[in-house]
Amino acid sequence: MADFRESQNKAHPNKTNTLMTAIIILLILFVSLQIWFLFGALNNALQENFNFALTTFIGSAILALCSFWILKYLPDPKE
Amino acid sequence: MKDQHSDNDPNWKRDFPIEKTKATHVSRREFAKFLGLLSGALAISNGGIVIKSLLFPKEGLKGEHFVCNVSDVAVGEMFQFEIEGTKVVPYILIRLEEDRWRAFEQKCTHLACAVRYRADLNQIECPCHQGFFDAESGRVIAGPPPRPLPQLAVIIREDKVYVTGKEEQEQENIS
Repeated sequence: MADFRESQNKAHPNKTNTLMTAIIILLILFVSLQIWFLFGALNNALQENFNFALTTFIGSAILALCSFWILKYLPDPKE
Repeated sequence: MKDQHSDNDPNWKRDFPIEKTKATHVSRREFAKFLGLLSGALAISNGGIVIKSLLFPKEGLKGEHFVCNVSDVAVGEMFQFEIEGTKVVPYILIRLEEDRWRAFEQKCTHLACAVRYRADLNQIECPCHQGFFDAESGRVIAGPPPRPLPQLAVIIREDKVYVTGKEEQEQENIS
C-alpha cells in the first residue's frame, strides 16, 4: 500500500527540483551579500573604520549561519 | 542520482568511483554544500579583518623626519621622498607658495599609482585613472579614488623642511 510520502512524490514530481533550485539561489544570494560585506570591510578597514568592519562581520556571520541552517532542507535523493 | 550511483553504494564508492565521468560529476546537492562552506569561509575572513584591526591598529608617523632644504624646492614644484619605517612609504612634498607647504603619501588611494602635483591646476593628479586630489587638503575632487590622500604635517625650521605625523602635531598643539 502506498504511504503519504509516495503519494506526495507522485503528485508533485518536480518538488525536489524546485526546492533544490530555491536553496541554491538563496545560498548564492547569501554568498553574494557576504562578498559585498567583505569588500566593504577591506576598504573601510584601511580607513580605520573599525565599526564598519565589526558590523559587516556580524552580518556575515548571521548569513553564514543561515546558509548552514538552510542546508538542513536539502532534499535527499534517497527519500 | 540513480543513473550516477546506486543507492546502496557506500560513501567511499561514491567519492572514488571507478569511472572518471562519475568522479568529475558534481551534483546540485554537493554544489549547495560547497556554497555553505564558502559562506562560512567568507564569514571567517570578515572576522579576520576585525581581529587584525584590533591587534594591529594603524600607527601614524612617529617623530620628525628631515626631508630637504627649503632652497631645494621652488614654488609650485614637487619633491619626492621616502621614509623608512616598518615599510618604506613614498611621499611628495609640495611647495604651494613661498611659505605654504604640504606633504602627502604618493600612493593613490584607488590602486596605488604614483600621484604627481600639477601646478597649472593646483591639484594632485593620478595619471593612471584620472583621479584628482585637492593640493591643500588631499581630498578627492574627481575620479575613482575612494579616500583622500594621507597627509603629513610640514615643519620649517632653520631653512630645513621636516615632516611629522598629522595626529602627533595636533597632540603637540593641544598640549
